[in-house]
Amino acid sequence: MAETILELNDIHKRFPGVHALRGVQFDMVPGEVHALLGENGAGKSTLIKIISGVHKPDEGVMRLNGQPVRFNNPREAQQQGIATIYQELGLYPQLTVAENIFMGHAPKTAFGPFQRIDWQEMSRRAQELLAELNIYDLDVDQQIGKLNVGNRQRVEIAKALSLDARILIMDEPTAALTESDVERLFGIVRLLRERGVAIIYISHRLQEVFELADRVTVLRDGQYVDTQPIADVTEQSLITMMVGRTIDNLFPKKEPKIGEVVLEVRNLVREPHTRDVSFQVRSGEIVGMAGLVGSGRSETAQVIFGVYPAQSGDVFIDGKKTHIKHPAQAVEQGIAYVPEDRGTQGLVREMSIRENTSMAVLRNIAQGTFIKRRKEVEMARDAINQLGIRAYSVNQVANKLSGGNQQKVVVSKWLASEPRVLIIDEPTRGIDVGAKSEIHRLMSELAVEHGIAILMISSELPEILGMSDRVLVMRQGRIVGEFSREEANQEVVGTAMMSDEVHELPEGVE
Amino acid sequence: MTAPATTPQTESKQPTLIDMLRNIITSQEGVLFIIMVIAVLFLATRTDKFLTVDNLLNQGRLLTEVGLVAVPMTFIIITGGIDLSVGSIFGLTAIVLGIAWQDMGMALPVAIVFAILVGTFAGFMNGWFIVKVGVPPLIMTLATLALYRGLAQGLSEGASVRGYPDWFYELGQGEFLGVPSQLWLLLIAVIIAGILLSRTTLGRTLYAIGNNEVAARFSGLQVNRYLLFIYTFSGFMSALAGYIFVSRVSTTRSDMGTGLELDVIAAVVLGGSSIFGGTGSIPGTIIGVVLIQLLKNGLSLTGVTGDATIVVIGSVLIFAILVNTFIQGRKAA
Repeated sequence: MAETILELNDIHKRFPGVHALRGVQFDMVPGEVHALLGENGAGKSTLIKIISGVHKPDEGVMRLNGQPVRFNNPREAQQQGIATIYQELGLYPQLTVAENIFMGHAPKTAFGPFQRIDWQEMSRRAQELLAELNIYDLDVDQQIGKLNVGNRQRVEIAKALSLDARILIMDEPTAALTESDVERLFGIVRLLRERGVAIIYISHRLQEVFELADRVTVLRDGQYVDTQPIADVTEQSLITMMVGRTIDNLFPKKEPKIGEVVLEVRNLVREPHTRDVSFQVRSGEIVGMAGLVGSGRSETAQVIFGVYPAQSGDVFIDGKKTHIKHPAQAVEQGIAYVPEDRGTQGLVREMSIRENTSMAVLRNIAQGTFIKRRKEVEMARDAINQLGIRAYSVNQVANKLSGGNQQKVVVSKWLASEPRVLIIDEPTRGIDVGAKSEIHRLMSELAVEHGIAILMISSELPEILGMSDRVLVMRQGRIVGEFSREEANQEVVGTAMMSDEVHELPEGVE
Repeated sequence: MTAPATTPQTESKQPTLIDMLRNIITSQEGVLFIIMVIAVLFLATRTDKFLTVDNLLNQGRLLTEVGLVAVPMTFIIITGGIDLSVGSIFGLTAIVLGIAWQDMGMALPVAIVFAILVGTFAGFMNGWFIVKVGVPPLIMTLATLALYRGLAQGLSEGASVRGYPDWFYELGQGEFLGVPSQLWLLLIAVIIAGILLSRTTLGRTLYAIGNNEVAARFSGLQVNRYLLFIYTFSGFMSALAGYIFVSRVSTTRSDMGTGLELDVIAAVVLGGSSIFGGTGSIPGTIIGVVLIQLLKNGLSLTGVTGDATIVVIGSVLIFAILVNTFIQGRKAA
């Protein structure tokens, strides 16, 4: 193997109350894709923040090309050739592609004592940089704000290269990408690897890790677990390493007890995303709703839940017609909605677990208008115990919890409302493997033991196939396919999601 | 705790008395209170006219109007909104009161109720446009700041109204149990508002809106209803303050309450409410109101000129916010 470019040894990092990294080691060689794995809260983010100069380690040595280094800020790390592409993209939407790439180091020409930016040179060099990445379809004078996420990400990679990055850190780069963008990204990653760039790759999607990585390092609870060549590990062994126990089943599905129709939607319309949607969900049944991003699944859920009232069509609960114009009315009808975007729709992150858990049932735990504090604490405590939320107090601010635990808080909020219908949108997005299977087990229990009718929207086909008793497929605001658990497989559901042909119309459509 | 991944612990350890005391002192309100005590002690050494019961009670009389308006302003700022029209509603109410009594021939008690209803309706209009039409609060109330003031000036035609009967001045100039009458009103308003904010569904909803309005809506909270209420409430309290002011100064003019919004917002923000919403409290606001009033009074008693007083108040505002940012930042780290 080539010479080590980056080496970290026995790294410790403490934050008040948390020993985030406890003796972690890590090393990189040029031209390698090194996957960094671990559950949320395992210390991956802290480790890359140390490498990229955001944090300083409390103990331990970091060597770059054999020399000990210590960065005071991210800029120093950048100057040493370490670039980071964060989950939240760090680009200026108002500026052009070229301006973003050369932000802070634009080519200049001198005019006496004055310097001015050499715009032509900047455009030319931006084109060159993109060409090096085999990108020929981007206009360097285009505003970043007008590009989609995948293209923005390619610009960000070009920006990193303009800084002559030798080490590139990619934190969940595919989280927000479409299928075709993911393929293009992989192309770029492979290209960079051939050029000798060392890439640290963080992802929850194990498939990607197997497709791209040369080696993999696993962290757990802030501790180093192991580093292995990708050829020596399997999906199962990686999960075991990450979770510290064997997860025998990612989809713990129980034998369903399906009863009467609870939720019935008839000819629901709200342009442009919901066009004549009809379906039913029965008590104890988990109905999976598949579809591409933008097919109108979340929007339809939000119409049912009253966030955006329907233009026409009806929603029936237990056979009775409802008139839902506001989420509060949906809650009264026994509908709960766990939204797709946890951070902005599901949680008030600045508030405590206690305050979040009681939010949907605030009036039920109030005497007159006075909130019964004791009752509220009790409820939050029950939620923590029942769902296994890892928190040290009911008053802990939701923001400080890991993604999986945040999701559990959102779910607990809706369980408190004792719903008849639970609409759960992307239940496990951005959640680590361990918490994933816990959420799945919980859904299964809710359906089987409490007879809740569950509508599960998911973009992960394995989740749809693993959890659903019945699968609906949406495309362009319409339901274009319905499959029983037995009929549903990757191929037919996938085809229905993409193709223009209508498969089998669900009942209730004239 | 050592690591977040140990078994779930639902109970943190019982806080000791010292912990609780430390929490109170280092809270936003605690820090502000200490700054206030220091300011009072300092001013007391400069003049013996400052720290007297009479003077302090009189200051209480003077700060009541700002205090009354600061209560709903705290609610509004907690939701991340703002109400710039309070001074204009204040002035409009004063004028309507005078005109309804003098020119329209209403009995004075009826005129008082009528004027307060007009002010309340002015606040309701703010809320309605903000909630139903979706106009940002800053824009809406900036517009009505001009609109309501214009109305007041048009109605008054530059004339002032005076010569109210004696009983009318009781509220603004009288005393009850040795304390200025209007101070009792403020006290009641503050206690009720404090309880509403910290103990009830109303308060919880306001904080939720300020921190994340979308999630509040997605949780089935009646966001619009509460927003409409607080802007209407703001109109009502501004109107009430306007009425008290007329009663205190014995006359009605159309420029009354000009710039009131800035005094009120300064007090609320000084009291620890974030202008971005999500944080704030009634005790904090009240300390803010009192601190500003005592500084004004104390400085003028020590012979500082008006211009210099404003400079000092501005500096204290900045200083208090810096100290608090520093302390709260350290606590969070």
